[in-house]
Amino acid sequence: MHYFALLLSPETDGPVDPEAQSAEMAAYQAFHAAAASAIRGGDALLPTATGARITGGPDSPSVTDGPFAESAEVAGGYYVFEAENLDGALELARQIPAAKYGGVEVWPMADAATPVPLEGANWLALLLEPPDRPVTPGSEQWQQGVARHVEFGKAAGEHIRGGAGLHPPSTATTVRVRDGKATFTDGPYVEGAEVANGYYVLSASDRDEAVKIASMIPATSVELRQLAGISGL
Amino acid sequence: MINLDGVFRREWGPAVAALARWSGDLDVAEDAVQEAFAEALRAWTRDGVPDRPGGWIVTVARNRALDRFRRESARTGKEFAAVTERGDARMEGEDVHPVRDDVLRMMFTCAHPALDGASQLALTLRLISGLTVPEIARALLQSEAAVGQRITRAKNKIRSANIPLRVPPVELLPERTPHVLGCIYSVFTEGYWSTAGPSAIRDELCDEGVRLGGELCGLMPDSRDAQALAALMLLHDSRRSTRVDESGALVPLDEQDRGHWDGGRIARGLARLRAAEGATGGYLPQAVIAAAHATAPSWADTDWALICAAYDRLIVVADSPMARANRALAVGFRDGFEAGLAALDEVADDPRLARSNTVASIRADLLRRAGRRQEAAEWYRRALALNGSEPAKAFLLRRVAECGG
Repeated sequence: MHYFALLLSPETDGPVDPEAQSAEMAAYQAFHAAAASAIRGGDALLPTATGARITGGPDSPSVTDGPFAESAEVAGGYYVFEAENLDGALELARQIPAAKYGGVEVWPMADAATPVPLEGANWLALLLEPPDRPVTPGSEQWQQGVARHVEFGKAAGEHIRGGAGLHPPSTATTVRVRDGKATFTDGPYVEGAEVANGYYVLSASDRDEAVKIASMIPATSVELRQLAGISGL
Repeated sequence: MINLDGVFRREWGPAVAALARWSGDLDVAEDAVQEAFAEALRAWTRDGVPDRPGGWIVTVARNRALDRFRRESARTGKEFAAVTERGDARMEGEDVHPVRDDVLRMMFTCAHPALDGASQLALTLRLISGLTVPEIARALLQSEAAVGQRITRAKNKIRSANIPLRVPPVELLPERTPHVLGCIYSVFTEGYWSTAGPSAIRDELCDEGVRLGGELCGLMPDSRDAQALAALMLLHDSRRSTRVDESGALVPLDEQDRGHWDGGRIARGLARLRAAEGATGGYLPQAVIAAAHATAPSWADTDWALICAAYDRLIVVADSPMARANRALAVGFRDGFEAGLAALDEVADDPRLARSNTVASIRADLLRRAGRRQEAAEWYRRALALNGSEPAKAFLLRRVAECGG
């Protein structure tokens, strides 16, 4: 079974201690080495200042440039894990360095994403919906959505490098590690905020093209963030 | 009409657990066992109760589940064959009752840390204890709709997120076992210390907490903490019938009729306590405190030094402002009420106690015992203004009157 792990933490602005930064990189490399057999993809995300939020769907897309002020915690990276069950996914999530100062949301994926090697510039498009209107995989509404995503797939073609639907927010689990002790919370990191119900990984030659492609995604809103391209996964 | 209640209570949990393992699906298990019990009511009224009612229930439930698989077109062909084959292989030659490991598996799944505490409790009461949704709603003072939704949501998460139906591997046990213990304890505490509403005690939940605690000791004989939890619940529960007077008001420990404490439960609790020696969690010191009260010949002859030492231990292994506040009361009896008030001051401003009447109640009690009646009345009134059940409020009102307030 595949799980989507979203890394959330306070976004730091201002200079970052280079020593701390390289220690952080080393911690991630150690995690990648330890969890190599279960990681199907993932990367760090560039700061929200370079991202975009697109609302209104394909019919009337409206683009807001980052940063997005409303939340204290922002997505700083993601992974796709393949694990036997939720216990396996949670064991992986707790080893992610971001779990020590932020949190990791673990979402069961409605379908398995086939890993595609990434080249050039790529973007993560998080499909967001209001939390009171989650669409359950398999429902009629979901099937209609699938049809619209098939259309998007035809339009976006080779730009789509990956993606999957996620189960509703009530199936997510948030992992935090403090003082070496892992705690699990039922549900997403922030209650009441817009929640992810799917994602795409898109390749594009530049930001404008990425925004153009993401604007065609059938979703209430889309958070578009460039991949840092540093994970080597 | 024969009375199936006893059989139902005994066989429900093991039967649902066995069917859950066989089918891999909690809904299938629950529905099938429900149908089997309906069938049992008809057949046993006619033919009498079979020798092994548990085995009968599991067999009938499995047949009902197979009927359902056959009916549902989605589960045809290979998948159906896989389910039946797997099920037959597992069931064959198995003495179906009692299906001990299955119940333990269910306990760990219902108390999985990815489910919130309220869901763990509701799921445990439904799938292991066999309470119906209306019964759970009544016991927890929640609406049936809310309880039903919570259980559906939890089962959906178990299925969609693939929470495994298993006893976790050895390396995860130290982390996971406390969740199971906590879930069982919450069954008991919801019954014993109802925080709201007209009734101080919900007997059904107290009984079920004690029963599950005993069952867990049998399933995890090496867990000292399970023994400590079982001891704690038995020792508290020995006082259940003396905790409320005829008018429904709570009776404090020093005014309870010790002659009516349940000697059988105290003896069983003390036996569990001996078996708990070496437990590392917070249940052991709490059980020691409960045992000190249960074995004291009178309130005046209570071993406060022992109780204070147990509170000190509790704060080392499981620190909480509630533990520190209660420790202050014990210090008051060991070292004098002024010392108790000083100890209470150290924790009184903890924001985690802001919504509880604990600090105000304990302060009022220490002041009253120190002879400062006017101040005591004032603090009893403050305690009244905070949360509390009707029986607790009735007790506090009595104290206000006694203090001349």
